[in-house]
Amino acid sequence: MAEDKIRNLLQKADEMAGEPVGIPAGLAAVVRQRARHRRFVNSAGLITAAAVLVIAAGLWYSTTRTARTRPEQKRIAALEGQIQELQARTDATLNLIREVLEDERHQSRLDGLEAELASIRDPLEEVRRQVDRTAFILIYEADQMYRDRSQRGAAIQAYKRVIGLFPENRWAEEARQKLSEIEKRKTRKLDSKGELL
Amino acid sequence: MVVMAGSIDDERLVRQFSQGDDSAFDRIVEGYSADIGRLASRLLGWPGDVDDVVQDIFFAVFLGLKKFRGDCSLKTWLFTITVNKCRRYRYGRMLRLRAISKAGDNIAHTAGCDRGESAMDSEAFDRVRRAVVALPAKYREAVVLRYLQDLSTDEVSRILSISENALQVRLSRARRRLKQELAELMEP
Repeated sequence: MAEDKIRNLLQKADEMAGEPVGIPAGLAAVVRQRARHRRFVNSAGLITAAAVLVIAAGLWYSTTRTARTRPEQKRIAALEGQIQELQARTDATLNLIREVLEDERHQSRLDGLEAELASIRDPLEEVRRQVDRTAFILIYEADQMYRDRSQRGAAIQAYKRVIGLFPENRWAEEARQKLSEIEKRKTRKLDSKGELL
Repeated sequence: MVVMAGSIDDERLVRQFSQGDDSAFDRIVEGYSADIGRLASRLLGWPGDVDDVVQDIFFAVFLGLKKFRGDCSLKTWLFTITVNKCRRYRYGRMLRLRAISKAGDNIAHTAGCDRGESAMDSEAFDRVRRAVVALPAKYREAVVLRYLQDLSTDEVSRILSISENALQVRLSRARRRLKQELAELMEP
């Protein structure tokens, strides 16, 4: 009995509430669209997760590879250091060669100049040679004059001039010998004349 | 209300849907949306607007229909989903807030419209509604399915996954509580 009353009361309240509102006409389409969206989100999530995994794997592989190649990199760095050192040495040698060549060029030029300078006669020697030659000519003329009997006085004056002008010259010595011989001859002549007398 | 389900060849619709025919789902929605909406409204204490929860229910149906093995009727399966969804929905914070803000307006509006024809005034309706809403979920579900949906005890016990004895106990306790709350309205 009580059950019927309660049932009756509830049904009256249900009638009073009326039909629920808000059930859309295209509910199935809305649900399908929602399912598609969810599928898309799930796919996108999977794709994103896969992409993240791929990136992570790539990073891991890259890191591992870097670690693996570290000894090789050290060797390469050492070789690069050696190459740089060799380069520096080569540069230094080239600079040295350049300097040596430059020095040789200077030396060669200097030798040329010295040779040129050596080819130039010594002025003193020239003067000495000229003096010698003059003295010789004077002696020669004096000798020529002495052979001529009439000019023997002039020849003796010429020998004396040579001795006076060039006392240190060898021709001055020659002139002194000539004068000495002339004097000796004169003495001998006088001696012979005295004996004759 | 329940008669509509009988006119639908549920097995055929489920099979068609499993084979990729989306129009089968359209027909299921068309056939059961009113019943589902009504049950959801009753389980949630006649909030008036149940579009969100009905959409959630059919969304769950769409996702799970291919897994439906036919151990029970499609209607029972749909009602089970509805009960579960409403249970969750009721405890959801959003629904509680919405129920607080909308229920009064909707109920007042509905009650105002039907007052002339109905045998119950809005004050009495409000008392009944509050008494039903105040029932624990397991009692409210049993009451709604048995007295408002007019389902047999066998169907209700299947939907709630309890024995018929347990259902009888729940109904008895629910009646006792409602009797205490609504004694004045029940007097002849």
